Amino acid sequence: MDETTGHFRAPLSDTYRRKSPFDQLVEHMGKIRECINLLRDGLIQYYQGTYQGFSELADKISAFEHEADIIKGNIRNHLPTSLLMPVDKGKFLWALREQDAILDHAENLAIMCDIRHTKIPKELQQLFIDHMKLVAETVEAMEHAVENIKDLVESGFTKKEREETKQFIHKVHEAEYIADEMKYEVTKGIYKLEKKLDPMDVYHLLKIADWVDDIADHAENVADWLRSMIAR
Amino acid sequence: MDFVVLAILGGVGSLGLYMAWNIGANDVSNSMATAVGAKAITFKQAVIIAGVLTFLGAVLVGSHVTETIKGNIVDPCIIGDSHILMLGFIASLLAASFFVTLATWKEMPISTTHAIIGALVGFGLVAGGDTCINWGKLAEIAASWLLSPLAGCILAFLVFKIIVKLIFSRKNPVESAKIVGPAIIGVTVFLITMSLFTNTNVGPIVGVTDLSLVVPLSVLAGFLIAVLSAIPFRKIQGRSSQDYETVELLFRKLQIGTSCFVAFSHGANDVANAIGPVAAVLSLATGDGSLNAFQAVPPYLLALGGVGIALGAVTWGHRVMKTVGGRITTLTNTRGFSVDFGAATTVLIASNLGLPISTSHTVVGAVIGVGLARGLAAIDLSVIKKIIYSWMLTVPLAAIFSAIIFIVLRLIL
Repeated sequence: MDETTGHFRAPLSDTYRRKSPFDQLVEHMGKIRECINLLRDGLIQYYQGTYQGFSELADKISAFEHEADIIKGNIRNHLPTSLLMPVDKGKFLWALREQDAILDHAENLAIMCDIRHTKIPKELQQLFIDHMKLVAETVEAMEHAVENIKDLVESGFTKKEREETKQFIHKVHEAEYIADEMKYEVTKGIYKLEKKLDPMDVYHLLKIADWVDDIADHAENVADWLRSMIAR
Repeated sequence: MDFVVLAILGGVGSLGLYMAWNIGANDVSNSMATAVGAKAITFKQAVIIAGVLTFLGAVLVGSHVTETIKGNIVDPCIIGDSHILMLGFIASLLAASFFVTLATWKEMPISTTHAIIGALVGFGLVAGGDTCINWGKLAEIAASWLLSPLAGCILAFLVFKIIVKLIFSRKNPVESAKIVGPAIIGVTVFLITMSLFTNTNVGPIVGVTDLSLVVPLSVLAGFLIAVLSAIPFRKIQGRSSQDYETVELLFRKLQIGTSCFVAFSHGANDVANAIGPVAAVLSLATGDGSLNAFQAVPPYLLALGGVGIALGAVTWGHRVMKTVGGRITTLTNTRGFSVDFGAATTVLIASNLGLPISTSHTVVGAVIGVGLARGLAAIDLSVIKKIIYSWMLTVPLAAIFSAIIFIVLRLIL
């Protein structure tokens, strides 16, 4: 903390945090959303067969992951046992951890796709694109839920705001469910073409579908932790 | 009056003034920082409010605690010798000032109240042994040190819960705030008026001392102020059922009222730390040589203390307010309002009971209360540990300082 040499007695100022952990959680969330949107746009290009610039995108996503890691470390390192928060600190940290996992998976996906440029069969392109869009929507829904936690704290945990946060969490679940369905469609589509495709391609296509879906799964985990965080 | 007495009085008076200045610069400004941090008032307004209202608090309600410090801790009858007593009070004031200066420099969260009580005990033990200390009163004071942060905590918790239940949870929070906010202000005014009429000189001066008259009068005053403070809100409209911003805006205005309350209570309680020993020396030097615990503290001494505190807030306080206020920007107006109300009510009640308590520790208690009511994103509870350490440190250290200074003074004079 800066300005420590004011030469006065101020137990009051020791009591406060300069930054609310919830603000930081939202900040972290903002990084994730930005990163996933970038990934979505990049992957749609990739699915359509344009590999140009994808390496740069993978680097960018790695950079994002690193930035978010710093925020995560900052939050985690400054939550001592003596800190009193309006929610369970353990659950708060789990939510943060799951948020972070989203970026880990995004990074992994980008790098893996960059290592081997797999051509997506024409018939499957639209399915892959739709799947990615749905996953990005799940993350977006999750951002709304996380942002609403801030309102909840601001209002001093009124019932009204809790209900609203629950609505947002519900939307994440819905989005994740639709994304899951789409993943099965994608998988079915891949198996339909298994005779035509090179086995390595099949393997990688299945993997890509899995990796993309991992992102939605972790978004759902965040929502679950938020739900248990605000449970009475 | 001979020259020596005059010199002593002058010295003690300026020492008391220094102590009052220190209180104003540090403690009052510290408490006002909640309002500054929550942007309810500007630095300039804070300085003016602190100056005027601590002065009023000191003059109007300050006598109770001053009397406690003056004659209720060390029993003057047992020591008897007025010369020794006088040296003792001078030593206590010196020790407390020295210790407070040191603590301020080292940024230890100690309380001037604890320092002066410790110093008095230190000199009393050396001068008259343990029989001359009024242990019963001391136990009461020690209990009040534990109870005052707790009371601040509970009151702030309740006020914040009321705000959540009656304002934030409602369909139209802004409309509810327009009624509930001024109502709480009304309660504040009721409390102040009650304490002014029942416990100070105001009652006898105005000629109203009968409780059956004081209560309706205070209710009326509270009601009037509540209505008055509701007037500026008439035109403010809420935008939605989640318009918490406008609610905060309303409380920003109301917090001006509670910060006045804080300054007033502060003056009422803390002026004694500086003026209590001065009052004792004055009555010893000018009276018949004995210290009567029930002899009233002259109002001009309280005014001197009030001026000292106000000066401290004006000359040095802005620095404290700026730094502390800058650190606590996460405190919104509804929270600041709850903190102010909880702390100031506790301090005012303690002042009326003649209990010297620590205002800043009470404020910390109130902040924790709002935190427990789930009103703050994060509060560092390690501050409690710091405060407890400072209790354990301040009282014995101030006592030792005071004892040493007393022994030295007795040798020379």
